[in-house]
Amino acid sequence: MTAALEARGVALSFGETPALRGADLTVLAGEIVAVMGPSGSGKSTLLHCLAGILVPDAGEIEVLGERIDRLSEARRSELRRDRFGFVFQFGQLVPELTAEENVALPLLLSGVRREPALRRAREWFGRLGLDGLEKRRSGELSGGQAQRVALARGLVGDPAVLFADEPTGALDSLTGEQVMELLVDSARTQGATVVLVTHEARIAAYADREIMVRDGRVTTPAVAS
Amino acid sequence: MSVPLTLLGLLERQPSHGYDLKRDYDLWFGHGRAVPFGQVYSTLARLARDGKVVMDEVTPGEGPERKRYVITEVGATEVDTWLTQPVAPEPHQQTVLFAKVVLALMLDRPAEDYLDTQRRAHLARMRELTETKRTGGLVDGLLADHGLFHLEADLRWIDTTSARLDQLRAQVKP
Amino acid sequence: MIRLGVRLALTGGRAAIARLALVGGAVAVGVALLLAVLAGLNAVDGQNLRYAWLNSEVTAAATGPEAADPAGWVMREDYFEGRRMARIDVAATGPDSPVPPGMTGLPPAGEYYVSPALAALLATTPADQLGDRFPGRPAGVIGDAGLPGPDALIAVVGRTPAELAGIQGATTITRMVSVSPQDCDHCRVGTGGAGMTLILSVVAAALLFPLLMFIGTATRLAAARREQRFAAMRLVGATPRQISLIATVESTVAAVAGTLLGFALFPLLRLGLVRITFTGERFFLGDLSLTWVNVLLVAVGVPLGAAVAARAALRRVRITPLGVARRVTPRPPRAWRLIPVAAGLGELAWFIDRQPNTTDGQTAAYLGGIFLTMIGLVVAGPYLTMAGSRALARLARRPATLIAGRRLADDPRAGFRAVSGLMLALFVTTVATGVITSIVANRGVTPVGTATYDNLSVGWYPDHGGKLPGPATPIPAGLTTTPGVKDVLVVHYQGIIGNLPLGAIGCADLAKHPELGQCAPGAQVGAVYADLSGPDFGSTYFDASPLTLAELATKPVNSFVVLTDGSRAALEHSRTLLETAFPAGQFPATENEWRSDFSRTLVQWQRLADVVIVASLAIAGCSLAVSLAGGINERKRPFALLRLTGARLAELRRVITLESAVPLLAVSAVAIGTGFTAAAFFLRSQLQYDLKPPGASYYVLVALGLGFSLALIASTMPLLRRVTAPSEVRND
Repeated sequence: MTAALEARGVALSFGETPALRGADLTVLAGEIVAVMGPSGSGKSTLLHCLAGILVPDAGEIEVLGERIDRLSEARRSELRRDRFGFVFQFGQLVPELTAEENVALPLLLSGVRREPALRRAREWFGRLGLDGLEKRRSGELSGGQAQRVALARGLVGDPAVLFADEPTGALDSLTGEQVMELLVDSARTQGATVVLVTHEARIAAYADREIMVRDGRVTTPAVAS
Repeated sequence: MSVPLTLLGLLERQPSHGYDLKRDYDLWFGHGRAVPFGQVYSTLARLARDGKVVMDEVTPGEGPERKRYVITEVGATEVDTWLTQPVAPEPHQQTVLFAKVVLALMLDRPAEDYLDTQRRAHLARMRELTETKRTGGLVDGLLADHGLFHLEADLRWIDTTSARLDQLRAQVKP
Repeated sequence: MIRLGVRLALTGGRAAIARLALVGGAVAVGVALLLAVLAGLNAVDGQNLRYAWLNSEVTAAATGPEAADPAGWVMREDYFEGRRMARIDVAATGPDSPVPPGMTGLPPAGEYYVSPALAALLATTPADQLGDRFPGRPAGVIGDAGLPGPDALIAVVGRTPAELAGIQGATTITRMVSVSPQDCDHCRVGTGGAGMTLILSVVAAALLFPLLMFIGTATRLAAARREQRFAAMRLVGATPRQISLIATVESTVAAVAGTLLGFALFPLLRLGLVRITFTGERFFLGDLSLTWVNVLLVAVGVPLGAAVAARAALRRVRITPLGVARRVTPRPPRAWRLIPVAAGLGELAWFIDRQPNTTDGQTAAYLGGIFLTMIGLVVAGPYLTMAGSRALARLARRPATLIAGRRLADDPRAGFRAVSGLMLALFVTTVATGVITSIVANRGVTPVGTATYDNLSVGWYPDHGGKLPGPATPIPAGLTTTPGVKDVLVVHYQGIIGNLPLGAIGCADLAKHPELGQCAPGAQVGAVYADLSGPDFGSTYFDASPLTLAELATKPVNSFVVLTDGSRAALEHSRTLLETAFPAGQFPATENEWRSDFSRTLVQWQRLADVVIVASLAIAGCSLAVSLAGGINERKRPFALLRLTGARLAELRRVITLESAVPLLAVSAVAIGTGFTAAAFFLRSQLQYDLKPPGASYYVLVALGLGFSLALIASTMPLLRRVTAPSEVRND
């Protein structure tokens, strides 16, 4: 089994405050891992480093065999666009665009023409139970619908890795579970690796294994079961 | 609630007379309900029969209440196993978990690690239940949900306690 | 990508449409004015070219087809009711003579051709005030091709060659001049093209600068409002460059729309422009046109400039995928920022008493100094804002003042940016007004009742080729009895005696008119200028001439000076009588008429400056509005929470008011003070004039500009109330 993601000795500080103090992590391809820990432990920061959003001060991060911690801002943006998908807790849909345009956004940014991009986007609406909502704006969607749209956007580009940071944090438990079921099913169908940050055990229970982060370090042994 | 193991744990801390044992048990683990003397002595007798404790002649010429109990190698091993192994992730385990944490602190064992191990066990069980929910029918799902919520409650307690271990340690071992 | 940007620009709801409208409107105003300026430049050139044939006496510059029969030619300036008239006397010697544009041939002796405006005047004016000046009869109207403007007064009078030869300055020509006066070295008629072009170019720059700054501000604010959206796009993989592009598109779309609107507004502006006479002569509407190059330059250049300005404004804005989690307080501006403004004023001051010798040198020195001061003001602004706001915070006794002072001190650049347009507009207005008012006061047109207005003089100057009339030349018949004429004085020519003026007059004659000045006590004959203008440098007496009265009577006549009551009839009748009596010399004029062209031009430039200032103020107002709205939106939550916890809306209003009004008034004061200082230095250095206080229109304009800005600040109060309503603080 190949490692999809690997972090070695990753350290990052915000000004004076250290957020990560040498985190090590291995995620195998196709795995769904839940990253858990108390608030302030650095789990979101770890996810941001793995996804190429932040550049660590020290350590190495390898994604699909390629070192990403030394890449330029533009290259990392392209990586996020082409190989990764994102489902975050709040506010990631662009209010001025319709739901289908939001889903198609990563494709449009890659240069796919408008019509084919929208067609690919629309396929996801049925799969995720969003029929009829294609032309709605984000302000007209319920919380659960918006997160499913975000999920569709995360998966539309057939990503190798899906990053989810508290994807159900703003949802009630039933809606949250619905979203998680869809997330896990779709990821498994596409063979995507999933890195899920959450503080809720019932959400983490959807993953294959959990990874504990405390005080900027990964305290779970880094070997997959 | 595992009375024998708790008594063994207390004995590992220090050899005690039966009376002192009951007093300590009531203090730490009684939760408002005192344990009957009879239960204490019969438990101790069973433990002695199993070779986990031995009696010690301390004050010659005293009655049975003045006998001191001492833990044996076997007993210590049993305590160790009990502490390091997670309990089965079932609902309503809070008293057991509590006992284990307090004793671990008393005995200077790594309580954090025990809690982590327990958390892993709980999560693994939760994963199983989640799988049941996804693949089984609605009724199975409802039962699984029940279990999941309780396990979650336990995990919450584990998290909170983990955060408070230092304070707790100061209380338990002044 | 661009389509995405356009979608985002157009579908952002009311706020986005409002932003688009604001930017578009400002661009429209700027473009319309820019086009007007370009049309004005074209019209100046076009009009200049129309003047060409009036300079035909400069035979070296003549390039037209050679005519077989040479013609006599002399051009002189005449005046009527304060308006300048061109009077050309010609004498054709044969059928193939050089023909000016607008005519089919030279008028024969005894006939004259006039411009349409002059023809209209001739029809309505008594002959003894105008028509009698022209010998012969009117025989034709000059076509438009020969006129510099529709109101031009031109007369081409046919004479015999013998008559013409006797006129002072007569020459013979075989070709018409058709080159523009600015390309011709000795041409007298026409505007100094270089000066006008320079001024208009400065005006164009003065329009573009605030416009581009405004676009930059609007873009930056739009990007800040869109922070969350852009962060989301960065998260899913948009590169920083793609985000810049999208943000720039919004401003560019608005700029394109504004440019188109500006082109639509321009024809209206053109109609208004044709009424303003920048060069002293109205333009033909056709001359006020745009070349293809102009159109392309503006149609392509303005949106391009807007895109560049927007892009530049975004360079400092970094949108990360996580949005801006922490706000870093920027470094405070340092004191070195005061250096450029001090250098600019210092440079201007240094040139006092050290005026450069050449026109180019002067242009470089003065314009350089003023530009340096202008740029220096923009550079120094943040520092002054910070210093002032720190003082405000220290002296604050109410919480609102403290909040406002601290916020300004924390980010003085943003606080200054909102009012920088206004500051520049005020500086430019003040310099222009200060300079022009003072020049006009010193050299400008004076009203009726002053000597310079009322007194008409005709003189002969030997060193300019004039032939002095004999000593016994009589005053023309009927002149002293013309209604409105108070007296006619004769100045005799005493020649060069030491440093004295060349004319002399009996002191007894002068004593009858003490307002002209007096002889030194005891003198019999005073040394005067031919037009009896006042003694030099404020001395109260005319110097005594060494001539005796008897000797004076033997000297030839230098000039006749007619003292009138200032009425039009009196002036024009006197003038006509003098012209018919002395048809061969220069024509009579009042001191005002010599001055009026220049000061009329100045007043027109003042009007142009006013128009530009109004436009700049409008654009500056837009900048302020955008900044204010942005500032309020940015602090929605903290303000709403403050209100919830008990702060009154009035306190919040005070904060907003102080934050914008304090920099506004402070920079206005600085701009006005610096402007007057720069104007004073320039006037002293170049013209040795003192700065005179400006007229009422300046104060009105400044009050208008400040009032408009304060009104804008006040108009954001309803927005504040709405935006900080409790419903804004929900936790979802």
